[in-house]
Amino acid sequence: MKYDLLYSSISNIQNQNNDLMTKLSSGKEVNEPSDNPLGMGQILDYRSALAQISTYKNNIDSSNAWLSTTESSLSSVNDILTQVKETAVSQASATATASTRQTAADSLQPLIDQILSLANTKVGNSYIFSGTRTDTEPFSATSSAAHIGPAVKAIGDAFDGSVSSGGTYTAGTSNKTYVVKIVSGGAIGAATYEVSEDGGRTWLAGGPQATGATINVGTEGVQLNFTAGTKDFAANDVFTVNAYAQGYYNGNGEELSSEVGSGVNMAYNVTGEAAFTSQGQGTVDIFQRLNDLKTALQNNDTAGINSQLDYLTQASNQITRYTALCGTRENGLNTSSSTLDDMNTRITGLNSNVEDADMAKLITDYQTQQVALQAAYQMAATLTSNSILNFIR
Amino acid sequence: MGNINQIFNTARDAILANLTAMNVTSSNIANVNTPGYSTLRPDFGSTGVFNAASDQQQVGVKITDVERLYDKYLDAQAVEQEQYGGYSQSQLGVLNNVQTIFNESTGNGLNSLLSQFWGAWSSLSASPTDMTERDSLVSISQSLASMFNQKSNELINTQQDLNTEISDDVTQLNGYLAQMADYNNKIVQIQNSGGNPTDLLDKRTQLLQQISNLVGVNYYEEANGALNVYISNGRSLVEGNNVWNLAVQANPSNSNFYDVVFQDTPSQTINSALKGGTIAGLLDARDTKISGYLSSLNTMASTIITQVNALHNSGYDMNGNTGENFFSTATSNAARDMKVDPAIVADVTKIAAGATVSGDGNVASSIADIQNNASLMGSGMTIDNFYESLISRVGQDVQDAQTNSDHQTAVLNEVQNQREAVSGVSLDEEMLNLIKYQAAYNAAGRLCATANTMMDNLINLGIETALTT
Repeated sequence: MKYDLLYSSISNIQNQNNDLMTKLSSGKEVNEPSDNPLGMGQILDYRSALAQISTYKNNIDSSNAWLSTTESSLSSVNDILTQVKETAVSQASATATASTRQTAADSLQPLIDQILSLANTKVGNSYIFSGTRTDTEPFSATSSAAHIGPAVKAIGDAFDGSVSSGGTYTAGTSNKTYVVKIVSGGAIGAATYEVSEDGGRTWLAGGPQATGATINVGTEGVQLNFTAGTKDFAANDVFTVNAYAQGYYNGNGEELSSEVGSGVNMAYNVTGEAAFTSQGQGTVDIFQRLNDLKTALQNNDTAGINSQLDYLTQASNQITRYTALCGTRENGLNTSSSTLDDMNTRITGLNSNVEDADMAKLITDYQTQQVALQAAYQMAATLTSNSILNFIR
Repeated sequence: MGNINQIFNTARDAILANLTAMNVTSSNIANVNTPGYSTLRPDFGSTGVFNAASDQQQVGVKITDVERLYDKYLDAQAVEQEQYGGYSQSQLGVLNNVQTIFNESTGNGLNSLLSQFWGAWSSLSASPTDMTERDSLVSISQSLASMFNQKSNELINTQQDLNTEISDDVTQLNGYLAQMADYNNKIVQIQNSGGNPTDLLDKRTQLLQQISNLVGVNYYEEANGALNVYISNGRSLVEGNNVWNLAVQANPSNSNFYDVVFQDTPSQTINSALKGGTIAGLLDARDTKISGYLSSLNTMASTIITQVNALHNSGYDMNGNTGENFFSTATSNAARDMKVDPAIVADVTKIAAGATVSGDGNVASSIADIQNNASLMGSGMTIDNFYESLISRVGQDVQDAQTNSDHQTAVLNEVQNQREAVSGVSLDEEMLNLIKYQAAYNAAGRLCATANTMMDNLINLGIETALTT
């Protein structure tokens, strides 16, 4: 019986020993959920938080890259506009002649081309001034009248007939992406559809209407024409058509944003619409004004040149406004970034408190265990040598 | 008037009695390490009446009984503790295994993959048309689905292992029951013919403990010596030499896992009537604990699948189409069957990151935000929180089982020690007894020799010797 007792206390100590060894070799206090159930839950929570912080910081970095390119492009545009304005001022005065104005007009074109090139800047494969249509070059060299682009049938549509756009974009004041989505499938005339004016995010009131060979898309003059194929419409078939207001701009006015904090989405783009046109949020059509100035110079039109001077100031202000906005946003992002850094440090510390082992304490405990183990072994040895059998001869 | 023969008789009684006593002592010494052996004590009893005036002038001795030292109460305690010990040991073993399935300490578990999954959607929202981002998202999503599959399968496999173990334990129990009936039979027979089947009694007590370790039992000893064993709802397992075996029956409403039944009433499950013991521990682990973990895993998987698909369906992919399902629709075994829809894997342009057809990343952003939605899992928990609380629960269950097991082991040890104190063989004591009996034997032998000499003298009275002529 005494041997049993001894054995169980030795094996107890050895079990505790094994536990200590695990903690010593991993450096962690919590190696299994059962070591500290609540603590394990906390550790997982901290890890999730740290991973999220890392994601936000990545997003901040990519937003910053976009913003700094935007800022430097706009800043360069502003420099050129200042140059243009100087030329315009000097050519508006009485000392200018037809030939100086002609020379000025000629020297204006390269500057306009430069601004065009800056307005079509890309970051990676994305145009930065196109709004959300980052695959489309935002500005053309020449102005176009209001027009409707071709109708596009989405690749996965069941409908295999043909679709074309029609009508005139008479009432439109800015570029729009119209989306027609089939609600309930069927043949032309039986299927129903709904219309979105904002690229498919929200749908116009009035509920689904019946399709037909020609349908009105929205209320601003855009139409779509359908020709039946072998397969009917299916629900969720999508048809897209872009409508362009008069001008040089081919993008839209939507913002791009990314998540830089929990539930915090920050816009990081400046649309060409706002910075360079008079559509949407913009007030001055810069390219139009520059081309008008060039025409006035070529025509030796003093009054014409004078009337552009004001617009040039407004243009400069418009560009400056958005340049400053970029700067403000960058500052905001940097603040967020350093806040995230602080959170990172704090949460790492909290995690370490729960998860990491106190090495000094572990080693001390280990030494104590060794002493206890030795004592137990010693006792086992002496027990076997003491028995009445030693004394009976 | 004395009688020398009576001295011989007395001496003979003494020698025989002490010889028997030494045999008992030698049995004890031989069985010092036999588990469950109860020390035997010879009871010396005097025989005869001493009446100096008549012929009755001796008081002999005989061994009236060989007593088996045991404490009925301690035996009963040991049987009871065995069932608690069996229960918590079996639970501890299973839960330790399950804990390794959920091992998150190295940081490569489900928690980390979930973080990567949400992070990948967030990155996609910042560059919605980047093909590398899309490929990366699909890859991470597939890893996530695989991990759900893996954990689910491991839990199901554990359940199946337990299933087999339960069946094996029932077979083992039936073996014990047959043995118990056999012992009952022999013990009753021997006791009827006046014998004292001490070693069978010891073995039967041991067997009872082994049975109790498997299944908590109540027992009752009849007057004729048979031991009747019942389970907690009163149904008999053994009565005398009659045995009612247990069996296992597949239960189709529980994934065809086994229910425990009596062999003669296979349609009545007795799972809930088994209280304590290994089998009950395994049943609880299989049907309550592991099922619970599996169900939590399934809830998580199906919530992720449903929420992501719902948002994905509201978005547009790179081809201008509305988003199809990102994950294949959740089945009832959501975690085991979770996978990224093959159409998405084949063509990553079908990932619907945008809320419009133009190439924004707002839907991807909303999907990433599911991580922060605290209304999905009840009690203000996000999906991540839910997993954290699942892990905590596993850890707590293991800790509880460990505490119970440690406690049971300590109590059982204590009971065993007390039993040893009462019934165990002490070599020191046996040695002293040996000396005692040996001395008595020697003295009785000396008595014989003395009586012999006296008898000689008596017989040789009246024989001519050299002195008388």
